[in-house]
Amino acid sequence: MIIISPYTKKLISGKQNPKNYPFWRELIALIDEPIIQIGIEGEEQLVPDFRKNLPLAELILLLKECRTWVSCDSFFQHLAWSEGKPGIVLWSVSDPLIFGHPENINLLKSRNNLAKNQFLWWEFVPHDAETFVFPTIVLEKLACG
Amino acid sequence: MAKILCSVATRGRYFTTLPLVLNAIINQTRLPDKLIIFDDNDDPQDMRKEMLYTYFFQILDIKGIQWEWLFADKKGQHHIHQRANSMGFEWVWRVDDDAIPEPSVLERLFSYTALNIGAIGGSILTPPIPRISASTGRITDIDIENNIQWGEIRAQKEVEHLHCSFLYRAGVHDYNLGLSRVAHREETLFTYGLFRKGYKLLVVPNANTWHFRNHEGGIRSETKEELYHHDEQIFRNVLKFKDKTVVVLNGGLGDHIVFSKILPEIKNPELFTCYPEVVPGKSIAEAQHLFGDIDQWNVYKKMDLWKWKDSLENAYRKLYL
Repeated sequence: MIIISPYTKKLISGKQNPKNYPFWRELIALIDEPIIQIGIEGEEQLVPDFRKNLPLAELILLLKECRTWVSCDSFFQHLAWSEGKPGIVLWSVSDPLIFGHPENINLLKSRNNLAKNQFLWWEFVPHDAETFVFPTIVLEKLACG
Repeated sequence: MAKILCSVATRGRYFTTLPLVLNAIINQTRLPDKLIIFDDNDDPQDMRKEMLYTYFFQILDIKGIQWEWLFADKKGQHHIHQRANSMGFEWVWRVDDDAIPEPSVLERLFSYTALNIGAIGGSILTPPIPRISASTGRITDIDIENNIQWGEIRAQKEVEHLHCSFLYRAGVHDYNLGLSRVAHREETLFTYGLFRKGYKLLVVPNANTWHFRNHEGGIRSETKEELYHHDEQIFRNVLKFKDKTVVVLNGGLGDHIVFSKILPEIKNPELFTCYPEVVPGKSIAEAQHLFGDIDQWNVYKKMDLWKWKDSLENAYRKLYL
């Protein structure tokens, strides 16, 4: 079983967070094993098993059960790192050298896409699908994992 | 050679003590690299029209001292000092607009700078000069002794806080911007913060500044008692927690998780957090009430300031260990 954590915190402006991976549906279509989506109420459901608003203790139990996980740059990658469970993080504008953990597979398309200032709100950074790796690359890494 | 900014915050003293201060700065035996006058007057004037100032500005140019006259935003002198603190200089010599340094003060203060030194002050004298020989300069004695700088300093001494005008290492500790606009205790809080960060604070002999206490004008010309009370309360709370490492985690869930890894390394922590299920602690609102400004614990602001390239985990280490 694989856990996916597709979305990061919503922006105050209502715009799409530039850290949200845009190709989840394409990626999910390529994966041939059970997937559990975790997230919160109001987020788009991508797979039949969507577990919303789980307390941390339950997320940790799920992490123990899963083969691996795939997440955007959200709290989930930190939680999994904290629990010693490596997985795949899909990066775009935030810097994995600062906010990531080397224990994970950090997929960043290009450092040229990183936001100039990593420490301000993401409100002012536009979402750009071009800044993310393609699902086939994620699938390759999933197969390795 | 280290770069020194001389910063003068002024209000209501265009034609009383400010010209004396500028004259004293111009005539230092060790000149600052730059002088900035932060004008916090209610009705700021263009001083280039004043003959006295015209000469000052010309002399600054002749002596090769860069200078700027900046208009401040009337939020209090702590905001002004924080601007100076974050301008990229290695040292800032802050001089009050009624404090007239003798010609060798900057040279004397600067001669004590070293890697482990956070700030250096000399005597701040107002005639008649009291005898202060017994003062310790310790923060715990602040209520029971006269400030050591008010008397003649005869020998170098390590202290825990400084007063009025001094030379300090810039960019390593922030002024408390949670203080009211009277900024009561601002320099005590600031220098004590440097001390808490492990830097030595020194008072040194033969670096006299004459304080022409002037009841008119001044950056603290504010009489509302509740503002002083507000600032005093913040100061008292800082003292109350002086033996603790105060941690304020006003961030996201992920930040809390990352921080939790370094928590065991922190000595005697007092925690204020948003996610007590991850890092148990008191509320952020309580931290704001106790300490005024909680931005001093904002790891993102710090990383921006530090031009950080390392991990978030190590940024927390730098902030708290």
